[in-house]
Amino acid sequence: MREILLVLNVKATTFLAGMLDLRIASLLKNLASLLIFGGVAVGVFLVSRGATGYLLQQAHIGLFLFHRFLSMLLYVFFITVNLGNMIVCYATLYKAEEVNFLMGLPLPHHQIFILKFIDNFFYSSSTLLLLGLALLLGYGSYFSMPWYFYLFTLFVVLLPFMLVAGIVAVIALMALIKVASHIGIRWLLAGVVALYLSAIYIYFAVSNPVTLVQEVMKHYPDVNAYFGYLDPPFVRYLPNHWVAEFLYWTVAGDPTRASAGLVTLLGSLLGLMIVAGVLSRVYYYRSWLAASDARTGRSGRPLRFQIRILEFGRPGRLSGQVDSLLRRDFWIFFREPSQWLHLSLMILLLMVFLVSMRSLEVKLAQPFLQTVSYLVVFLFNGFLIASVSLRFVFPAVSLEGSVFWCIRSAPVPLRRVYWQKFLSSFALVFLVAEVLAMASTAMLRDNPVLVAVGALCTGFMALALTSVNLGAGAYFASYREKNPIRVASSQGATLTFLGSLLYLGCVVMILVVPLNRYFEILILRGSSAPSSLVLPVVAVGVLSVLLFLGSTAVGQAALRRDY
Amino acid sequence: MIELHHVSKKFGSFTAVDDVSLTIERGQFFGFLGPNGAGKTTTIKMLTGLFAPTSGSCSINGFDMQRDPLPAKRSIGYVPDQPFLYDKLTGREFLYFIGGLFQMRPQELRLRIEEYTEAFEIGDFIDRRGEEYSQGMRQRVVLSAAMLHDPKVLVIDEPLVGLDPRSSRLVKDSLKEKTKNGLTIFMSTHLLEIVEELCDRIAIIKQGRIIYEESQSSSRRSDGELEAMFLELTK
Repeated sequence: MREILLVLNVKATTFLAGMLDLRIASLLKNLASLLIFGGVAVGVFLVSRGATGYLLQQAHIGLFLFHRFLSMLLYVFFITVNLGNMIVCYATLYKAEEVNFLMGLPLPHHQIFILKFIDNFFYSSSTLLLLGLALLLGYGSYFSMPWYFYLFTLFVVLLPFMLVAGIVAVIALMALIKVASHIGIRWLLAGVVALYLSAIYIYFAVSNPVTLVQEVMKHYPDVNAYFGYLDPPFVRYLPNHWVAEFLYWTVAGDPTRASAGLVTLLGSLLGLMIVAGVLSRVYYYRSWLAASDARTGRSGRPLRFQIRILEFGRPGRLSGQVDSLLRRDFWIFFREPSQWLHLSLMILLLMVFLVSMRSLEVKLAQPFLQTVSYLVVFLFNGFLIASVSLRFVFPAVSLEGSVFWCIRSAPVPLRRVYWQKFLSSFALVFLVAEVLAMASTAMLRDNPVLVAVGALCTGFMALALTSVNLGAGAYFASYREKNPIRVASSQGATLTFLGSLLYLGCVVMILVVPLNRYFEILILRGSSAPSSLVLPVVAVGVLSVLLFLGSTAVGQAALRRDY
Repeated sequence: MIELHHVSKKFGSFTAVDDVSLTIERGQFFGFLGPNGAGKTTTIKMLTGLFAPTSGSCSINGFDMQRDPLPAKRSIGYVPDQPFLYDKLTGREFLYFIGGLFQMRPQELRLRIEEYTEAFEIGDFIDRRGEEYSQGMRQRVVLSAAMLHDPKVLVIDEPLVGLDPRSSRLVKDSLKEKTKNGLTIFMSTHLLEIVEELCDRIAIIKQGRIIYEESQSSSRRSDGELEAMFLELTK
């Protein structure tokens, strides 16, 4: 155990040295991080408090239903932490160079496992923990909870809840690597994605929120009672339910019943820790060896697909340098399972989103509700574009990696490398964004002005978000990190994502008043006034172009830095 | 021809390279020696455009690496100290990629790849992906990539690390042959016997400063003479 503490101490010291760096550039960077993280945390706090108040005071859904909604939110949170840990875990526990180094030291394998698990958990879950805390503060402040409630819930409920998700992920990963050695990593990854999608689908199908609401609302206005008999039996075995039960009985003033959920959660955590400890002793080293073999292609045949026109050595229509860069990017992308699989998953999610859009009814009579529904869909599109950009555009420069020497020492203008990256990324993001915008706005409304506004603003968003992610990705580039998922979940990436959300917030603020006026004229007077939307669209365009210019300048300067 | 003119490189308050000036004539095989952390790799990175000097200038065949990087880089072949390749590309694809960056004509590129596949005996594994290569395999592919466009200047950082004796012999013979045809080589290494065998001229760097430089091509040194001198100068 002393060895683990020693390594953790070194890691903590290195982290603190980075945080306490007193150089002006570092201070500014840390200050900017603090402002963005702080801003988002305050935003989440206000939304959490406002939503709690609205649902309980305005919508009168009652404490029970509110906590069942909270339970569903916690389920999605659990799956997010779990999946995030599993994805990053593979990079941290199996692919990291540090593990190769540690395996060569006289350290027991299970200690390396514990060390890397802690590393992985805090790396992949710290932002979610911050968001969880902000949500908790908003929730608790609505119920005027005392200060110790927050401390207790954070450390004894929320953190163990996330740890359960993380440990389940790592146990599953060890088992999956065993399976992967038989069926191959690609099929396994595809299976895992299918499994997670099924888990979400089955959960919401079985717990059926609509039926639950209907059943509870039969008792209106007596909706504050405990309708536990409405819970499907299997839900009671899920950690999100235990946390929701703890919170429900705490605010209902029954600490005895609250402790039941808590004890189950902590007991499960303890049990899982023991299982993970035992498994790591007998299986971590063997699974690490199996993963090493799989990576070097010694455990099976690599999946080969060929597109002859894109093979190296074939004549191309573009200049030699751009042609080479594009072919390289194409093959590296499609030979890396984590890249194409993630892309497939995102496309699938977008399709699910579009299909679910078709069933939405937005024939609302009030202009403000029309504005809100339009902007919610628009914002959700923006959120998806920001996620796609973060995942695929942000890591683009980092993925040049240790091989960047061959481009830096070749007679290629770095501007050209940057533009090649920008244009190929922009083409992808723009395509996704426009399909989303056109399909979602056209499905919901047969108003060509609103479809055009959506398409134009989404185009500007694609421009801004692609350039921001590429520029920030170059600025925060980590050439030593080989895993794109880890790059896309680094501190720089988180800051960029939060920055993207701020940009989306600004776009919505620019559009909200003119759109509301447009809907007022449309609904109340029955006429259309498209000219009132010209100025806000131009404003969104100007903001986006400014961001594009700034990000491009930052990104190109960053690319020229010493390598 | 390579020229370094009062080149310095600072990282914060630390000076890695301090006022280094060197001129290496066409066709010379130049050995750049120094203990660990002396500034050899930093110098090489400035020479190849990977680092910008804090002051001074580096030029290749008369082209300043900072002001005129493209013509300067066109003349250079570079072999880094760590032969990193793309894991997901095969050796052949990597060579095509490099040829594309140097804007070589497709027909010429194909012939050159065949030539170096044979010269460095990489045919057995050239169609396997980089993730399957050993250090020596990577080194041979990187050497082929560096020579592919027929550079006028070859800058090599530790060229023989990881090579087996046969590959090492192949590389040494190939480099010697190239210098006879006018190739200028700037090589950094710790292996003094390689320097004794191959280099026409040497310089020794310590704590960022040149502490010894041969003014012109030296005659063969006797066995152990270079080692004794190196140890004395760098102690």
